[in-house]
Amino acid sequence: MQIKLTVNGKKYQRDASETKNLLHFLREDLGLTGTKEGCGAGECGACTVIMNGRTVNSCLILAVEADGCDLQTIEGEAKDGNLSELQQAFHKNHAVQCGFCTPGMIMSARALLQKTAKPSVEQIKEAIEGNFCRCTGYQQIIEAVQDASGQLKKKEGLRRA
Amino acid sequence: MLQEFNYLAPKSKNELYAQLRKYSGKARILAGGTDILVELHNQWVAPEYLIDIKKIGEFQGISYDEKEGLSIGATTVCIDLIKDRNVNKHFPLLADAAHRIGSPQLRNRATIGGNLCTASPCADMGCSLLALNASVEIGSEDGTRIIPLKEFFTGPKKTQIKKHEILQRIIVPTEMAGAKFGMHKLKRIKGHDIALVSVAMARTAKVIRVGIGSCGPTPVVTEDLPPRASLRAVVKAVEKVVSPIDDVRASKDYRLFMTRQFVETIYPELFKRS
Repeated sequence: MQIKLTVNGKKYQRDASETKNLLHFLREDLGLTGTKEGCGAGECGACTVIMNGRTVNSCLILAVEADGCDLQTIEGEAKDGNLSELQQAFHKNHAVQCGFCTPGMIMSARALLQKTAKPSVEQIKEAIEGNFCRCTGYQQIIEAVQDASGQLKKKEGLRRA
Repeated sequence: MLQEFNYLAPKSKNELYAQLRKYSGKARILAGGTDILVELHNQWVAPEYLIDIKKIGEFQGISYDEKEGLSIGATTVCIDLIKDRNVNKHFPLLADAAHRIGSPQLRNRATIGGNLCTASPCADMGCSLLALNASVEIGSEDGTRIIPLKEFFTGPKKTQIKKHEILQRIIVPTEMAGAKFGMHKLKRIKGHDIALVSVAMARTAKVIRVGIGSCGPTPVVTEDLPPRASLRAVVKAVEKVVSPIDDVRASKDYRLFMTRQFVETIYPELFKRS
């Protein structure tokens, strides 16, 4: 089935298999392999992307359901080879270890920051409750999101140029 | 790639009715997809047709009418229920219940109709809607019928819906608007676990009603109790309708104990002055 969609501001038109989920479509048909497959069953959040402003598990959506939708993936974060402030905050605050959960985690954090400029710790925890991280223990991730929203003390926080 | 199926996306309910008749028994409904995509991924089901009902305008949206009450379209997603003005004004228990479902990613996608039609004994919306005496509207080529939600569930993963029918909307009666309420859901990890026990209670000037999930083959509800019913009477009515089992998630005794605990915790909330 022919579908049209926008990913990170770029328009695509493709013939999508009806039996392919959005995750595999992004990775295999569009070559956007930043989005990861963990469980494939909506538990782990590694495949999180933003669809029409809301986070979704791309493994639980058929590619054809995304027809006409506006998507944001991890590939939309860095611009001209420079990491986004959110990505820099993850880097600086040691919020990445193995890195497998990071693309999904960043998309959940991004969706939160798009709605709430200065989220509380509780809001951050709720925003990432659908994303498993088996390395960091989450604290560094929470701090990274606080940092990205300018809520860590200057000395500890991200140095801004 | 998932196994082969044909994807259909009707744009009106009449188109859907015809497809349901034509492919009766060979089709499954796709709403939010948070359950059926898992079933397809694991190859637990192999429908020939997957019918996406999200494009049908008649099944969308939430509205409030002083006479009929709150009408929730079957494809309404949890996050829209949580944010809806009329839900928060008249039936905040529903927003509370929807907020306890899954994770943000699931709440952004999972539909109320799907939650009820999957008919898991632990259906998160089930116990709250039962406490509010909700009804469901079921449609087909034969016409529409409205049945009380408490008659809708017939067993684990089983409902009154026949193969050629579809759940169209949920109706919450005006008489329950502004009810005092409380809900508790027992789970191990927020955002990642299904309920071991859930209890939702609602009280108006005329009635107290308790909906209980994960404590029987379906979500269950007590008989209508008088608004001044004692805690003892409420506990007794709850114990009359629950029939928990031992399973991998919790023992029967633990479930019974926690059900009673939750009823005792919520009960005083029902008598608070607003």
